[in-house]
Amino acid sequence: MLQQTQLLGQVAIKKLEVIKKMVKISDFNVGQVIKNEFDQINRDLLRSYAKASGDTNPIHTSDAVAERAGLKGIIAHGLFSFGYLSKLFEDLLNQEKDGKVLEIGVEMRGMVRCGDLLITEAVVTKIEGKKVYFDTKQTTITNVDIKKDEEIVKQFEAGERGYISEKDIAQGLVKTKEVDEGTLTYRERVSTPGTAIIELYE
Amino acid sequence: MDPEEVKKNAKFLVENLAGAEIPGSAKVSVRYKTLVSFAKVYGITDPKYVGAEEDGIVACHAFANHFTVKALYKLLLGLKLTQDGKERPFLINTAKLLHAGNKYNWEGCVDVKPGDKLKIRGKWGKVWVVEKNMILFAELLVDVKNQNDELVCNVTTNAAVRPGGY
Repeated sequence: MLQQTQLLGQVAIKKLEVIKKMVKISDFNVGQVIKNEFDQINRDLLRSYAKASGDTNPIHTSDAVAERAGLKGIIAHGLFSFGYLSKLFEDLLNQEKDGKVLEIGVEMRGMVRCGDLLITEAVVTKIEGKKVYFDTKQTTITNVDIKKDEEIVKQFEAGERGYISEKDIAQGLVKTKEVDEGTLTYRERVSTPGTAIIELYE
Repeated sequence: MDPEEVKKNAKFLVENLAGAEIPGSAKVSVRYKTLVSFAKVYGITDPKYVGAEEDGIVACHAFANHFTVKALYKLLLGLKLTQDGKERPFLINTAKLLHAGNKYNWEGCVDVKPGDKLKIRGKWGKVWVVEKNMILFAELLVDVKNQNDELVCNVTTNAAVRPGGY
């Protein structure tokens, strides 16, 4: 049995690469968390997504067009980050042996940008028969700059392009923490809340 | 667009769309190359999704974004309504369209495979207006079937349209 605080995602990766152990309904408990993180959102990746998805709106691939639309720089496609949520469950389940994904729903609340760290999490909220229900959320961490003695020693894209708004500050989304080079200012916000249901075979 | 016209259009759409079928359908041909490119965007390496064509692969779940977005643009942009005896598009200004959320349901569905020809049909679910900002919200209930009339996905899409867009 997995511990309540254990990250099922990590277990799943082990399962796929080494253990090849089946995932069963008895492996789940309410409160367990599955998680993945992705920090390589960049312009090349969004171009690849645009090509693969057929959504070629240039606000996702051209900074000039996005700036003219008042966006200060390109934004990821609304459903781009959904793929990291579905991958979370695809990594967890061998769909022939373990179970299948029944439903995933997302609400698009915040724009995702190049340079963001995207954290995808799913928390088990209910287990009914062979079905496991999750609340999901995708959070973006947007680095702004690093300051030392009030001087900016490193500036990130969000700082250069002014992605952080007064509203973000008013809502308490902009935070600081100490890092090796100084004080890092970053924004943390939930971009995509949602829900998911999977069904196990055993 | 003046506020009275926005109100009038909102009332018309709320009263006439909810529960109505969206005429026509969208078709999407599924290619092996597209499925693999889509999965690779997310770093998927499982051969079930990115293996050789001759071994047989299926679409990763995120591929639902591909056919849903394609179909919705086609169905919504081509949609004509009759208001006060005159024909009008559903969307007067597409720049005012916001995509608010999607729910994909695969219960009882078969996998999407290379060579599939998907047929996508939709109908309106709930339609409402938030009077504070006059944003129109519409729920679209979409079913996606393959060439054998087998269900591959049910999608509920929530779209929002800012005033001036409808």
